[in-house]
Amino acid sequence: MRKKARYVNEDLCTGCGSCAEKCPTPAVDTFNTGIGQRKAIYKYFAQGIPSVFTIDAPSCRQLGQGKKCGVCAKTCQAKAIDFEQKDRMVEIEAGAIVMATGYDVFDPSVIPEYGYGRIKNVVTALEFERLLSASGPTAGHLDRPSELTLEKEIEETGKEVRKLSARIKQLEEKQGKTSDEVISQVKAGASDEPLVEWAKQAESLAEMQAALAAMNRKMAAATTAKKLAFIQCVGSRDFRFNRYCSSYCCMHSVKEAMIANEHDREVHSSIFCMDLRAVGRGFEEYKLRGGQQANIEYIRGRVAEITEDEAKNPVVWFESTTERHVKSEVFDMVVLAAACVPSAGTARLAQLAGVELDTNGFVKTDPLMPLATTRPGIFVCGCAQGPMDIPESVAQASSAAACAAEAVIGAQITLKATA
Amino acid sequence: MAEQIRIGVFVCNCGSNIAGYLDVKALAEYAKILPHVVFVRENLYTCSENGINEIKAAIKEQGLNRVVVASCTPRTHEPLFRGTCAEAGLNPYLFEMVNIRDQCSWVHMQEKEKGTTKAKDLIRMGVAKAALLKPQEPIQSEMDPRALVIGGGIAGMTAAMALGNRGYEVTLIEKSGELGGLLLKLDKLAPSGADAVAVARKQADLVRRHPNIHLLLSTHIDEVNGYIGHFQVSASTNGSKTQFGTGVIVVATGARVFRPAGLYGYDGEKVITQLELEEVFKSGAFAAKNVVMIQCVGARNDERKYCSRICCMVAIKNAIEIKEKSPETGVKVLYRDIQAYGTENEALLQRAKELGVIFIKYDPARPPRVEAGKVIVHHDLLGREIELPQDLVVLSTPLVAGEDNEAISKLLRVSLDANKFFLEGHVKLKPLDFATDGIYLCGNAHYPATVREAVSQALGAASRASIPLSKGVMSVEPIVSTLVDEDACRGCGLCVALCPYGALEIVRGEKGRKVRVIPVACKGCGICAATCYHHALSVNSYSDAQIGEQIRAFLEESA
Amino acid sequence: MQYTTDVRLIRLMCTGRVDPTMVAEAFIEGADGIMVVGCHFGDCHYISGNYQARVKMGLASRALGYVGLNAARVAFKQCSSAEGDRFVSHVTTFHDSICEIGPLGSAEKLPLPKLKDRVDTARAALASEKLRWVEGKFTEFQNNGNKYGEKFTEHEMWRTLDTIVIDEIATHGILKEMRKGAASVIELAERLEIAPPAALKYVLALQRRGLVGLAGVDGATPSYRLVERPAKAA
Ligand SMILES: Cc1cc2nc3c(=O)[nH]c(=O)nc-3n(C[C@H](O)[C@H](O)[C@H](O)COP(=O)(O)OP(=O)(O)OC[C@H]3O[C@@H](n4cnc5c(N)ncnc54)[C@H](O)[C@@H]3O)c2cc1C
Ligand SMILES: Cc1cc2nc3c(=O)[nH]c(=O)nc-3n(C[C@H](O)[C@H](O)[C@H](O)COP(=O)(O)OP(=O)(O)OC[C@H]3O[C@@H](n4cnc5c(N)ncnc54)[C@H](O)[C@@H]3O)c2cc1C
Ligand code: SF4
Ligand code: SF4
Repeated sequence: MRKKARYVNEDLCTGCGSCAEKCPTPAVDTFNTGIGQRKAIYKYFAQGIPSVFTIDAPSCRQLGQGKKCGVCAKTCQAKAIDFEQKDRMVEIEAGAIVMATGYDVFDPSVIPEYGYGRIKNVVTALEFERLLSASGPTAGHLDRPSELTLEKEIEETGKEVRKLSARIKQLEEKQGKTSDEVISQVKAGASDEPLVEWAKQAESLAEMQAALAAMNRKMAAATTAKKLAFIQCVGSRDFRFNRYCSSYCCMHSVKEAMIANEHDREVHSSIFCMDLRAVGRGFEEYKLRGGQQANIEYIRGRVAEITEDEAKNPVVWFESTTERHVKSEVFDMVVLAAACVPSAGTARLAQLAGVELDTNGFVKTDPLMPLATTRPGIFVCGCAQGPMDIPESVAQASSAAACAAEAVIGAQITLKATA
Repeated sequence: MAEQIRIGVFVCNCGSNIAGYLDVKALAEYAKILPHVVFVRENLYTCSENGINEIKAAIKEQGLNRVVVASCTPRTHEPLFRGTCAEAGLNPYLFEMVNIRDQCSWVHMQEKEKGTTKAKDLIRMGVAKAALLKPQEPIQSEMDPRALVIGGGIAGMTAAMALGNRGYEVTLIEKSGELGGLLLKLDKLAPSGADAVAVARKQADLVRRHPNIHLLLSTHIDEVNGYIGHFQVSASTNGSKTQFGTGVIVVATGARVFRPAGLYGYDGEKVITQLELEEVFKSGAFAAKNVVMIQCVGARNDERKYCSRICCMVAIKNAIEIKEKSPETGVKVLYRDIQAYGTENEALLQRAKELGVIFIKYDPARPPRVEAGKVIVHHDLLGREIELPQDLVVLSTPLVAGEDNEAISKLLRVSLDANKFFLEGHVKLKPLDFATDGIYLCGNAHYPATVREAVSQALGAASRASIPLSKGVMSVEPIVSTLVDEDACRGCGLCVALCPYGALEIVRGEKGRKVRVIPVACKGCGICAATCYHHALSVNSYSDAQIGEQIRAFLEESA
Repeated sequence: MQYTTDVRLIRLMCTGRVDPTMVAEAFIEGADGIMVVGCHFGDCHYISGNYQARVKMGLASRALGYVGLNAARVAFKQCSSAEGDRFVSHVTTFHDSICEIGPLGSAEKLPLPKLKDRVDTARAALASEKLRWVEGKFTEFQNNGNKYGEKFTEHEMWRTLDTIVIDEIATHGILKEMRKGAASVIELAERLEIAPPAALKYVLALQRRGLVGLAGVDGATPSYRLVERPAKAA
């Protein structure tokens, strides 16, 4: 096994976070599905265990960009930063192996008709989960991605405007002329190089200021998302992608719609589904409560297409199986319940471990020996075996541990007997 | 002779995390004037080796008998400091932690002066509590290394095998005369296609021959007393009584199939349940030409709100079975939502559709009607009622809680859900444990499950049960409830009724009915102490006096 | 994430640990507001502690309200360990509302000693056995019903609790007054600001329990006193 260098000494780091506060380099926050930002020295997420920081080497000035920095090393009073750390190869011997490598979220951009990636306000359920989270990038407010982008644009344009206007102001003061005078001079035919440049800059400043004002107006008019659509079975139960049902997505959509409504009572959600699969303890009751108390509407039918209107609102086109015709409806945001697919490394790991996969790419098991892979001594639990929710994954984890313990104890007994 | 209280206070800078926002020098100075404080030290990092050594040295050299550390959160660092005290020979429960980082410096970054005042108050409160701390000893209790499994269906048998294979002695109690449970009544099992009875028999054989499993058939449990590590069980087999002890208990008592008396003309012959259909298959008497299956009969309604999870799969399985046996037979499934969750069930659904099984959604507000030779149902897509010919109607009825569940829940003091299925301690964190320590659950007793799920839960429950068994001795943190004033207790039993862990019991002793705490079962939540109107119960390290002293210390000087 | 420096925190294992009398005691010590913060329902690490706390704090707030304390000085709030922002917003909202109410006694328009004396009566009432049973069984009666299978709504449960609170406060008030000396029903009613028939009812109930006896008759008006109780049998 390769243990990757984290460039922070795990034994010394107290998890205080002073380093991240001082680190000058922003990086994309992968935990928050790329919606927010973090620093180049970071903790994957606040409650992560162990509570130790890590340097994201490619983003880091010193490690990745070859510049001089080391601010973190200077800040850290525990002297935990170690730029010299290297990846290590670790070897262990084991009598049994448990594979618990989980799942990945299906990438819905391969379904062109849903517009994911193209339409800003179409997000995956996992991204939505981060938006809803009190510890997420928007502190749980349903700011739409289009507005988040707008916000960024405003910030950047604002910076440009400030820079440019400072430069022009300097010119005006130095030369004792106003920009308007210069512009009219140039219009009148002045061809003096610096003057033309000045006029050009002044004009583009005016343009930028107008654009900024327009953006600010738009931002001021924007509200958080109130009308949500959840599209089920995205990449699941679909012959083009995955034939199977991803098990947990019906419930996570109901959950997300409930939380959104708890956060803001005005939120209304439409869940587009073929069947709403609520098969655990209390699930059906939860689903009903969503309908009665949390403004959730369950709509039967496959969504044909999602388009975008001028206000960046996604428009959902669907055939209602209860009303029997194609309809369209405008939403503030669309959430795609993207399928659960085998995690990226599963195939490679299976090959290394010498275990077979099923036709869907999950680790193959026998319905009557649910934790055993095709190779004795190797067990599998959780979504590595197929889509399932947390309670089932946790239960399976205990089961896999039981199987592994049995295998190891059996081995010990044989060893003793032969010794 | 009352010992003299000597408190040492350590104020941590946490690098600049605390020192950057609070005046730690002032805090240390302030601590010196607090009652009982004889030693104060400020550290850059109290948790560093240096800091730890200073605590140890001070305990020894200054004769400290209470230690207070004002630093970060006890969630991460209390165990470390407790350990430090123990290493220096001080009882670790004479330690108190004051959080002046998360609760103060981090949340008052712009208010150094007021933040420092608050930190002083927090330290004063901590010191006041520390003065009242009492030494505690870890609670230890021997484990009876045996296990009891109740219920001999596939789940119970699997759990018993797993525990037996790990080398524990297991008693398996089945109330009927035969091992196998529901499987004995089924035909083939989806998705494996295996013969259900053969699967059950094979496992039953292994159980019977297992040297570590003691099998009691036709046996009824009469009484269970005690707690984790020390359960006492009385059971009777055909009138003859047995008694034995056990350390842990696994509940695997399964569920029953709902009988739809009075629904859709159910008669057990022309209108039957899926379970009865399986019996028809087994007897080889199946001959229908047009079968209509109706889903959610007696489920997902006002009376029984829940979805029974497996009946859609069972209907699909049996529809396939019919098509494979007799392809010309028409099969229609009237459903509300087809619960073919996961990889295997969805594959079955697709196979059924390929074989020509027709699925028609119905609206519970307009349920199908069974009439002679036909079923009438409103078809949403067509927007009108249609008539389906039939010579056999099969009703998919839910699994309902076992008839003994209430009795067992009382015997074991474990909870049931609103539908009387057994309720786990925590959906996500403890899906196979009851809230009461030492008791576990699996299979249909928990909630309707497929064989795959039941087996996997059974292995998991066995794994959970083996954790305390493997320890030999149970050791628990002594922050638990204690009967501090036996005379005050009137034995009313309110605390017993409210304890979520079954950690209290009423016993009759010399002084009459009194409560007794079972420390190994107690988690220290304090509901009992907050409820006892005679203040007979208290929680170690969170006693009424200690909390009261913190409140008083807060308010005494805050002007 | 910043909040007011006016709060002090006391860490407990679970909100279920908070005895409502502790809340009353904190006011007697001079606190201006008490907020109990715990996990969300369904997330209680100790299973049912927060359900207990909700009822206990609701009760503390009502009982203290009856004796004249501003009931908004007691709050029960929920947030998870990952919801720092929510915690801050609870603290901030509560702090704002306490600032609006003002220091102890000011909103109540009562001199502090008198207010504290009344809070003390509420404290005694909050410790009463009957209240503890109903409060303890609150959630169970709501969800599963009593032993006869009768379920009660939230409203019905509170109504029951309210009646007991009122009775207990009056009863403890009477006992406290009598500790100062014998008194007639009319005098008691005046001092406790309750209707004379109600006061009579409580006095007679106390008499039946053997706690109060006739002290004498002044003209046509009987006066009552506490019954000397033999020292608690050991
Ligand atoms: C949007 C969304 C919302 C959800 N909401 C809920 C909910 O509310 N309730 C619920 O019960 N379930 C919910 N789920 C389902 C839940 O996420 C899964 O049931 C659960 O995460 C499965 O756990 P796991 O451990 O099997 O897999 P994972 O959580 O995927 O964990 C697998 C781990 O293995 C690591 N790993 C992968 N490959 C390797 C390798 N080769 N070497 C080493 N490590 C590796 C990964 O980094 C990862 O840390 C939700 C899912 C989604 C997508
Ligand atoms: C019609 C039908 C078809 C099904 N088809 C399939 C299928 O194709 N594939 C599949 O995977 N699953 C199928 N199932 C589900 C399957 O039956 C269950 O998963 C399985 O039976 C669960 O086993 P269990 O051990 O939990 O419960 P059970 O099989 O119910 O066993 C419980 C045992 O406990 C005993 N017991 C009860 N109370 C006590 C007590 N107080 N003391 C002692 N013993 C007690 C009972 O006598 C019984 O032997 C089907 C179910 C039905 C109803
Ligand atoms: S769980 Fe629901 S949304 Fe997810 S694939 Fe299955 S049916 Fe579709
Ligand atoms: S599994 Fe299917 S038939 Fe059974 S209750 Fe659920 S939806 Fe109805």
